[in-house]
Amino acid sequence: MASHAIKTFALTKRFGDTEALKDLDLEVSEGEVVGILGPNGAGKTTLIRLLLGLLIPSGGRAEIFGLDCHSQTVEGHRRLAYVAGESNLWPTLTGAETLHLLGQVQGRVDTQYREVLVERFELDVTKKVRALSKGNRQKLSLVAALMTRADLLVLDEPTSGLDPLMEQAFRTCIAEARVHGQSVLLSSHILSEVEVLCDRIGILRAGVLVEMGTLAEMRHLSALTVEATFDGAVPDLSRVPGVTMVEVLGSSVKCQVNGTVEPLLRVLADSGVRELLSREPSLEELFLAHYGSASTGQSDASNAR
Amino acid sequence: MLAEVQSEASSASGAVSSTVIARVTARKAVRSGFGWGLVFGFYVATQALAYATSYPTVASRELLVQEFGSNPGVSALVGPATQLDTVPGYTAWKCLAVLAITAAVWGILSSTRLTRGEEDAGRWELLLAGQTTRRGAAIQALVGMAAGLVVLFITSGVIIVATGRRSDIGMGTSGALFLALAIVVGAAMFSALGALAGQLSSTRRQASGYASALLGASYAIRMVADSDTSLGWLRWLSPLGWIEELQPLTRPNPLALVPIAVLTAAAVALTVYLAGRRDLGASTLPDRSSSKAHLRLLSGQAGLALRLMRPTLVSWAAAIIAYGLLLGSIAKSGGKIMTSSPSMQLVFERLGVTGAEAYLGFALLVMAMALCFVAAGQISATRTEESSGRLEYLLVRPLSRTSWLGCRVALATGILVAGGLLAGLSTWAGAAANHAGVRFSPMIGASMNVVPPALLLLGVGVAVYGALPRVAVSVTYAVLVWSLLVEITSGVVNVNHWMIDTSMFHQMAAAPSVPVDWTTNAVMVAIGALSALLGLAAFARRDLKGE
Repeated sequence: MASHAIKTFALTKRFGDTEALKDLDLEVSEGEVVGILGPNGAGKTTLIRLLLGLLIPSGGRAEIFGLDCHSQTVEGHRRLAYVAGESNLWPTLTGAETLHLLGQVQGRVDTQYREVLVERFELDVTKKVRALSKGNRQKLSLVAALMTRADLLVLDEPTSGLDPLMEQAFRTCIAEARVHGQSVLLSSHILSEVEVLCDRIGILRAGVLVEMGTLAEMRHLSALTVEATFDGAVPDLSRVPGVTMVEVLGSSVKCQVNGTVEPLLRVLADSGVRELLSREPSLEELFLAHYGSASTGQSDASNAR
Repeated sequence: MLAEVQSEASSASGAVSSTVIARVTARKAVRSGFGWGLVFGFYVATQALAYATSYPTVASRELLVQEFGSNPGVSALVGPATQLDTVPGYTAWKCLAVLAITAAVWGILSSTRLTRGEEDAGRWELLLAGQTTRRGAAIQALVGMAAGLVVLFITSGVIIVATGRRSDIGMGTSGALFLALAIVVGAAMFSALGALAGQLSSTRRQASGYASALLGASYAIRMVADSDTSLGWLRWLSPLGWIEELQPLTRPNPLALVPIAVLTAAAVALTVYLAGRRDLGASTLPDRSSSKAHLRLLSGQAGLALRLMRPTLVSWAAAIIAYGLLLGSIAKSGGKIMTSSPSMQLVFERLGVTGAEAYLGFALLVMAMALCFVAAGQISATRTEESSGRLEYLLVRPLSRTSWLGCRVALATGILVAGGLLAGLSTWAGAAANHAGVRFSPMIGASMNVVPPALLLLGVGVAVYGALPRVAVSVTYAVLVWSLLVEITSGVVNVNHWMIDTSMFHQMAAAPSVPVDWTTNAVMVAIGALSALLGLAAFARRDLKGE
């Protein structure tokens, strides 16, 4: 029974008339790293706050290591660490004081690892929180959570405000957690972050888990956007294998490519291409491509705290 | 509140939206100015009416002059008492110093809240990204606060003028308005100084600290100036001294308005100048942003709460001790006046209390009120931990909601009991130093007697916080202010006894002049405890809620 780090049973949350989460069933096995993707307001934060017992479910329930998230919060929290997307720490405490306090309340700290983390994130712990930038506060939150070596890390857009170097340091930490056998639930809207770190990915839309699977299973989602400008006439790309959503605008063309780009490259090279631009589609574009434009305009229920 | 600002910013366009800071500030300042205008007005009215009814005869007034007219200790604390034999003279003496300081504190708190506080909360960032410059924002906030000051003046002025028209009071309209003005200029000067401090420091708390230090210094200088007639010239060095020099209702001296106007204008001008020169969120003075780690208290949530509250608690303790010493030292004279009529003397003799104890029985009510403010502050601090999101850092760790809130309630209870003891002990010490004949053990009983109303308010606050967190702070203060108003007015006007019974303070026995009513106290504490338990239960069953 306790082989699940997280398990929810038809978990539902309503804020007034808004249904932020509908009958959600989610499982995270022990030692697994799971990413939750979704646009703003999809219900990611609501899900996480329910798991933490900060919100009370309107229906269904959730467990952490077999412990009920509402009635056995204290026992559950002994095995958990959490990082929010926004760090609201006590402005008058210094970094060192904050880490000491939170370690004391948690009751378990790997002090050696804490020093490693402070060094890795280049944190000045003598500074008061109010003098720290948003990114540095976020780093402090991350260290406070990671230093406990908790069995389950619950991370809600943890890299917001971090620069690329620090984001790299964060990825190192998650890799270490995986080696340690820790379980991770990572909510994000940064596709690449989730792609690199997670064993399985869930996609949340308007409070419903619409996709859940390994990266290989989700491959059909990861289309590439290609824009090309030609000297001469624009070739017909609609029959090239893997190419969809072709849009022609004068002498340039925009399309999506699923799977290998080789067939497309061959056609382009033969047609006198002058400029070529390719990029990974944003999550927004993936949603648009897969669920139609109606999927993104949901109310921002996750902001309702 | 952020939503309010946002909707104002987005709904209004062009020229209208460029005044949004002025309008938002004015709305808050006017609301607060109106409320405190009522308190100031009714305070003056109560004092004037109480004097007129308590000292109707020339003989009784002369006795008062003998006791207080030449008492250097009292004079140092609240200013010299001239013309105590007239209603206006007594009213001016009794109200001016107390209300001018209260107004100054109000000015500091509201101006730092409306300028630096709004900036710290990030609300101005949103607006400054639009059409307003930093300097423009400062000017707008100052204009908004000026609107609050005008409302404070009008509200208190109307009540004082209305009171003065009674034949047994006999204050002229211009005199009454000049008294209101003398009180409000205290708020004006220290609002401006608070705004200036907000430009110099990096947080609201620091700004309030700087401005309060100025207020403390000007009180200390005035105190020295009034303790010895040869040092009277020192009064011109203190903003509070200038207010005293205005001498409303006795020998009005509008000349003292000149330094007041100059200081206010200079502080305003400097505020506007500095606002344009610094970054948003930064300070003009160097900020101590690093510090050595002080871990002694930070071993758990109780220590954290104590550490965060320490500055506030220290200032409350200092205020309670100072006021206790003051009450104790004037208890002897106060008691003599109370027992001056033979019939009253007989009553107190029968009760077995000394004159000074009789006086303190009524005077200690103020301590009960102060402790209620401490209790309301505790509810506010508790709610702030949640609304700021900081509470989550504790509750996502192995700490249950019940133990968190329970610990805060226990701490607050301890603080209130300690506050009561401090009040009793300092009053006793002040009285003992003056050989006023106040016995120790009745004072200890009396010191515990001032705590139950605060515990009741704390419990009610916790209940509302548990169920409806977003209104908890306003409801708690509303209950407090209602009780204050009922208590203040019931002394003068005939009020329905059902209404009087709704005031927590009215349930209190006037110990040590009468024995402590332990049954009523137990009932008050029990209601408070029951409410707190309900609040704890509700808190464990609700969502955490931000602002």
